[in-house]
Amino acid sequence: MPTENSIKIMPKAVVCEETNLRGDIIFSSGCVVHPSATIVAEAGPIIIGENCIIEEYATIAHRLIEGANWDSSNILSIGTHNVFEVGCTVEATKIGDKNVFESKSYVGPGVTVTSGCVVGAGIQMRTAQVMPENTIVYGKDALQREAIDKQGSQTLQIDFLRKVLPNYHHLRKPNYDPKKPRSVV
Amino acid sequence: MSFMQPIPVKYACSCGILNPINKLFFCRHCPKLRCGYCVCHEIESHFCSNCLENIPSSEARHKKNCCANCFDCPCCQHTLSARATTVAVVRKPDEAKDKEAQSGAGGESGSTTPLKPSSVPATKKMYYLSCLSCRWTTRDVGIPDQGVATGTWPDNECLYQLRFNSLLEYYQSVVLQEKQDRQEFLRRKSPKQHKFPSLTDRTGLTVSLIRRQIGWNEKTLPKSKPISISPTEATADVEQLPPDIFTEPLNLRQVTTIAQRLSQPRDQPTAVGNLYPQRRSLWIKRSLRCRQCEHNLIKPEFHPTSIKYRIQLFASHHVPEVVMVRCEQPLKSGQKNAIVVKITNPTMYDMTIRILDALPEEEEQLTTEMLQQACKIKEEAVTSSPLLRAAGITLTRQNSTREIKREVNELSNTLIEPLESEFVLSQRDDSKEFDEDIQARSEIEEPKFIVWRKGNKVLLRLQFTPEATSKISDEVVLSFYMQYTYVNTVANTTEKKEPTTQALYSRLFIQAGAIEKE
Repeated sequence: MPTENSIKIMPKAVVCEETNLRGDIIFSSGCVVHPSATIVAEAGPIIIGENCIIEEYATIAHRLIEGANWDSSNILSIGTHNVFEVGCTVEATKIGDKNVFESKSYVGPGVTVTSGCVVGAGIQMRTAQVMPENTIVYGKDALQREAIDKQGSQTLQIDFLRKVLPNYHHLRKPNYDPKKPRSVV
Repeated sequence: MSFMQPIPVKYACSCGILNPINKLFFCRHCPKLRCGYCVCHEIESHFCSNCLENIPSSEARHKKNCCANCFDCPCCQHTLSARATTVAVVRKPDEAKDKEAQSGAGGESGSTTPLKPSSVPATKKMYYLSCLSCRWTTRDVGIPDQGVATGTWPDNECLYQLRFNSLLEYYQSVVLQEKQDRQEFLRRKSPKQHKFPSLTDRTGLTVSLIRRQIGWNEKTLPKSKPISISPTEATADVEQLPPDIFTEPLNLRQVTTIAQRLSQPRDQPTAVGNLYPQRRSLWIKRSLRCRQCEHNLIKPEFHPTSIKYRIQLFASHHVPEVVMVRCEQPLKSGQKNAIVVKITNPTMYDMTIRILDALPEEEEQLTTEMLQQACKIKEEAVTSSPLLRAAGITLTRQNSTREIKREVNELSNTLIEPLESEFVLSQRDDSKEFDEDIQARSEIEEPKFIVWRKGNKVLLRLQFTPEATSKISDEVVLSFYMQYTYVNTVANTTEKKEPTTQALYSRLFIQAGAIEKE
């Protein structure tokens, strides 16, 4: 892990100051990160796609495998429109678009989450696997089913949060604009 | 209240089943303990647990005990909730009509067309049902969105619906015919005694004669013949399995689980594409009735939103509650030990309590006699009361299963030392709960076995010896009789109106724990 954190926040992303960010993390525009969310980029950089919501006590971790070192080409890429609900822990190797990780769920290392998946509240996914598109895991027996259409985007919620969060929290300033070659805002 | 689970202190119900006190009822009229097995359960009202709507029993039967508005998820049996979406409707006069035709039960959009023919986008609320647990939606199985949130959801008709209906009709008519036949038979067997035989006898006219004279047809209904149905035929020819069943890999996500099939009993689909929202089953409010004296023990308030009772005779409101506190020494077989129990008086009257190791002889005789008598009373009650006669079949069956006096002696494996004297437990007084000082009673000399006392609560020390034969890790069960005075405010006899004091007995069992290693 590099000694210094390098956190890039694109414009229009709302990242609260009380978040726990470590390593090399890029927030694309439109992301909303609530206070006391944790994002740890130990093994390599994390790139979070547009319009993701990361709620309180959610943990996204890119953990080092034993014996490995920081590798800047080992990127954990998280797609767009994902929702990480309160208290979830996600250590997946790859995350696509429009997924929902419900409260207190756990997705272990080695799991590849494609798109439109829902990991239900309290579900623990520990074995390495590829979740096919539109998989929904629910209930105390962790039953799986396939949804017909993808989960609806959370545009209303994001707009609301973008309005409300700055009223009550200190924000990290966007520090990177892809349109300008010199990253000064 | 004991927080230990399972509750170690159990009371023997009058039918001989052991129960913790919070599962027991107390009939003030008998006066005896009753449990769920020895009372009559009656349906007080039907209601939907989701929308809390009260549904009369006739309507409930008509709707097959299902709520008209609420649905269960066919996927996870959770309740479905209606979600609204706004759909943009382009209001061109001709196009709007097309939209209307597509969306089926549209409603309001078609009627409002005074807008300009230009394509002004207007929004319209459409509803679909969605499960908050497994995210199943009605869109998954292609049920079109509805313009109204409740009431318009289509019932899924299954393949056998017609057959079901015709069978239902047939058996209803069979029942009707049998009933008519029976009535006819009874009428012929015992000629009906007329109320005023003298009147018709004098004139020589009977009702049927008059009817025939004035040209009406016979009063008796024409016999209804059951409509004929074609019986189902067994066939040995079974369709061959489709060939692709051997070649295509099985997608388990497309196959329904057993629970999903059973929750949709009408067609029991094997593919998830055939899951349809199921109407939610109704719940009932129950009233309980003592079978011996036919008084209500529990009668809930009628309204579904109310959780209160009109009549509540819970045992914990009338019988002193015994809670196990601790054993003084580790449990060893054959070694004298003592257990501390807490007894609480829940009533508004002082109680005199004695702890006995056996029932006094005359009392024992009395109870067996009472039991036999009770059996007789009940037999009579069943045949005499018209209300119960209506439900006679079920009641007599319940009775016959019940009246076996269960012997619970063998459960106890300890010798208990009965307390040398009785003691008084004062009435419940909620304000005393907050008193800090110990009241004046402590000045009076307390019997030795009383460890502590405050208000209506007392801690007792009971000495006992586990049987010498019991082995390590055997469960030690104490058994004793508690005699307590109970002030009964209901008058059993009509002439006496003031409350009577009765000495009642309860048999208690305490599971003290397992015998420990040496």
